Amino acid sequence: MTLTARRPKSHGALEASLDDAAQRPAVRYEARHITKAFGGALALSDVSVAFEPGEIHTLCGENGAGKSTLLKVMAGIHQPDDGEIVLGGETLHALTPRSAQLRGIYLVPQEPTLMANLSALENLFVGILPRGRLRFTVDWKQMERSAGEFFSQVGLEIDPREPASTLSIAQQQLLECARALAHRCNIIFFDEPTSPLTAREADVLFAVMRQLRERQFTLGFISHRLDEVLEISDRITVLRDSRLVTEMTAAGASRDAIVSAMVGHDIAQRQRPHREISTQPTVLELRGLSHPPEFSDVSFTVGRGEVVGLAGLVGSGRTEIAEAIFGLRPSQGTVLLDGKPFAHRSPHRSVVAGLIYLPEDRGHNGVFANVQLTRNITAAVIPKLQRAGPLLLPAEEREMAERAAERTRVVAPSLEAPMSSLSGGNQQRAMFSRWLLAQPRVAIFDEPTRGVDVGAKEDIYKIIDEISASGIAVLMISSELEELVFVCDRVIAIYEGRPVAEVVGDEITLERLGTLIVGEQAK
Amino acid sequence: MTAVSQSLGRAPARPGTRAPRSSALRRFVRRRELLLVIITVAVFLITDAVNSGFGTGGYISFMLADAMPLAILAVGQTIVCLVRGIDLSVAGVLGMVAVSTGFLAQDHGASVWLMLPLALGMGIGLGVINGLFVVFARIPPIIVTLGTLIVYQGVQELICASRAVETLPPMYAKLGNDNFLPDIPYMLVPGVLVTVVVALILWRTAWGRSLYAVGSNAEAAFRAGIRVKWVLISAYTVCGMLAGLGGLAFLVHYDSADSQSGLSTSINLSSIAAALIGGTLLTGGKGGVVGSFIAALFLEVTIQAVIVLGVPQVWDQAAVGTLLLAAILVNRYQASGRSLSQALAGPLRSRWQPGHGGAQ
Repeated sequence: MTLTARRPKSHGALEASLDDAAQRPAVRYEARHITKAFGGALALSDVSVAFEPGEIHTLCGENGAGKSTLLKVMAGIHQPDDGEIVLGGETLHALTPRSAQLRGIYLVPQEPTLMANLSALENLFVGILPRGRLRFTVDWKQMERSAGEFFSQVGLEIDPREPASTLSIAQQQLLECARALAHRCNIIFFDEPTSPLTAREADVLFAVMRQLRERQFTLGFISHRLDEVLEISDRITVLRDSRLVTEMTAAGASRDAIVSAMVGHDIAQRQRPHREISTQPTVLELRGLSHPPEFSDVSFTVGRGEVVGLAGLVGSGRTEIAEAIFGLRPSQGTVLLDGKPFAHRSPHRSVVAGLIYLPEDRGHNGVFANVQLTRNITAAVIPKLQRAGPLLLPAEEREMAERAAERTRVVAPSLEAPMSSLSGGNQQRAMFSRWLLAQPRVAIFDEPTRGVDVGAKEDIYKIIDEISASGIAVLMISSELEELVFVCDRVIAIYEGRPVAEVVGDEITLERLGTLIVGEQAK
Repeated sequence: MTAVSQSLGRAPARPGTRAPRSSALRRFVRRRELLLVIITVAVFLITDAVNSGFGTGGYISFMLADAMPLAILAVGQTIVCLVRGIDLSVAGVLGMVAVSTGFLAQDHGASVWLMLPLALGMGIGLGVINGLFVVFARIPPIIVTLGTLIVYQGVQELICASRAVETLPPMYAKLGNDNFLPDIPYMLVPGVLVTVVVALILWRTAWGRSLYAVGSNAEAAFRAGIRVKWVLISAYTVCGMLAGLGGLAFLVHYDSADSQSGLSTSINLSSIAAALIGGTLLTGGKGGVVGSFIAALFLEVTIQAVIVLGVPQVWDQAAVGTLLLAAILVNRYQASGRSLSQALAGPLRSRWQPGHGGAQ
């Protein structure tokens, strides 16, 4: 199917794009039975979604449900393992970001990917810089003439010569939209564009989206904020655990319907084991911990042997709170360990004081990928290793690492194997053994089951259970609500950097947490 | 679940989790020190076969002594490379120490033993400056040490003030060029001692372990409770200290020093070359000082061979550079689990390949 007639004498794609008559015809864009796995972890399983022109089609789902992956597959960033992508009846093969753009498909990513040191103008036309008469020169005048039109279409009032780095996040996103228009794209996906925006900034973006809808663009959208989803969407598709759960029109959608589809209460067969609610002496206490705008006025306690969960959306400030406790970022307010204020925190001082933090991003912040398993396990206790005079004793160290690895059931070819040769689940088990060696009193686990397979998940729950049974106070962050329901004695819901509710014992249910984390004060 | 003890030595069954395949060639290349020794001996024997003067005792002991200033610098450079840094100022430290101690010896007849703590102390001071800038000013090490190199060289010229160190007490030349056993020069003692001690420290002490951890993943090391700033500063400090010792070694070996000492020779870049050829990665966390020491000998033998074989001396630099590039390619081959051709083509592909993105 011919999308545009190429004019014989053209100064590249740009000139055609300025011609309104050359706008691409409205087109339907479909994913059919898409399956995609990353290193064994399934991200999409047999998902079919059709994006219609003149519609804003929103994807909903918890973190890791597969929303972003679907859009990335459709924008050519990931190749699907199975299934096909169909543009107006034509199946597209081996889509790349560039070939997707040439066909009018553009993904506005979660974090704008502008070239910070280039001007807004250059960012707008990157890849399709208009050429001057000599073909190898850039026609700056032409660029400046045409830029204004694209900027005004998205309501962007900036000096096009300023470097992109001087723009606010909201402006950068609008610039991404303008770039899509400049590239003559009429299928535009927005991957959680509003999460870094204020409500007012989001409204500007929505106005642009509505305008594009008027012009029969095909629009895809991802958001965790249900009120804005209901406000702007024409159609809503809910994904859960890499599968499509349901598709509804805006007319038939309600907050409750979306939430229950997202958390899938009908699927959660695992029973929450009943635990006695017992009051144990407080080990960790936060008093008014604040670091605006990330989080403010956070106060709670964690008792001996207790597992307290932090529920919230990505970006709600949970990780930031944990990092502040551990001393990775500054904050006001007080942290008390065993009732005594713990000031001037740093990772080193925290570890010495018996406070440990298992980071969310294992690859960057946890493992030493090329280093042998033994040294990965003993990394946090180097000063405590057995030694003769100043010299460490390798045999003793190895034995210590082996015992720790056994305790968390690490499966590895050998203790000398580099960490990178282990599966995600075993790397995570090794991280647990590292931190158990440090003999903590307080353990913070940030997304402890991220990127591990199902079997390892169960094992990690067991490990956390054993840890808390041994009297360690556990603070656990997870985006999988089911996991919090299953593991925690108490859950604190965080919304936009503030604790909004505390749920105890058998009151911890998927529905309750699901509504709390999107800022709904249910009941 | 299988415990680690039960599965030790057994490769896991699941594909994708197996260790990189190990060919005989790869295993051999892994033992970089052995490989270097063999190549060095081969270069030596071939050159000797062509020019029989090369294998005489005098030449061997000269080369051993001649390589030591570089070897000592390379050991320090290796420590900095292990924490993912680089120190371009070692030649500046060497020169500054050589002329300072040289003038004291020339003008006041100070003994080598008195100069030793001075050389080490100056090196420590100059190294600390590098470390503080890298850690607290957060300037990339290559820029910091380029800056301090120029400053240190300026100070070196200032100290010289158009004079030069030419007449030293006889003890200096003796230590710098004589043998204490047949064919074994005095100079070999500090070189070997430094290498062995540092190797032991890297392998068996908490500080050594921290160096590798920081170089391998500084953020993970920080989060594991390792005091990364202190480790970085100490790495530059020890490197500076060894550069100071190298300066004294330079002085005794050449029995002279002037405003161009360290600058006119290629010792600065050669120290980095030796570290890399010795198997240390500029990306940190991998390598060791024994390889660097042997690599320093290897470079010395190669350069002398080039001279003996009648190639004009201007080709020295080109030889070092070629060896360096070859070593980097071998390093990459060794680090990757891939075939040689894939490893060489690696940088051309991967990053920009569509569908290569990792996370969801």
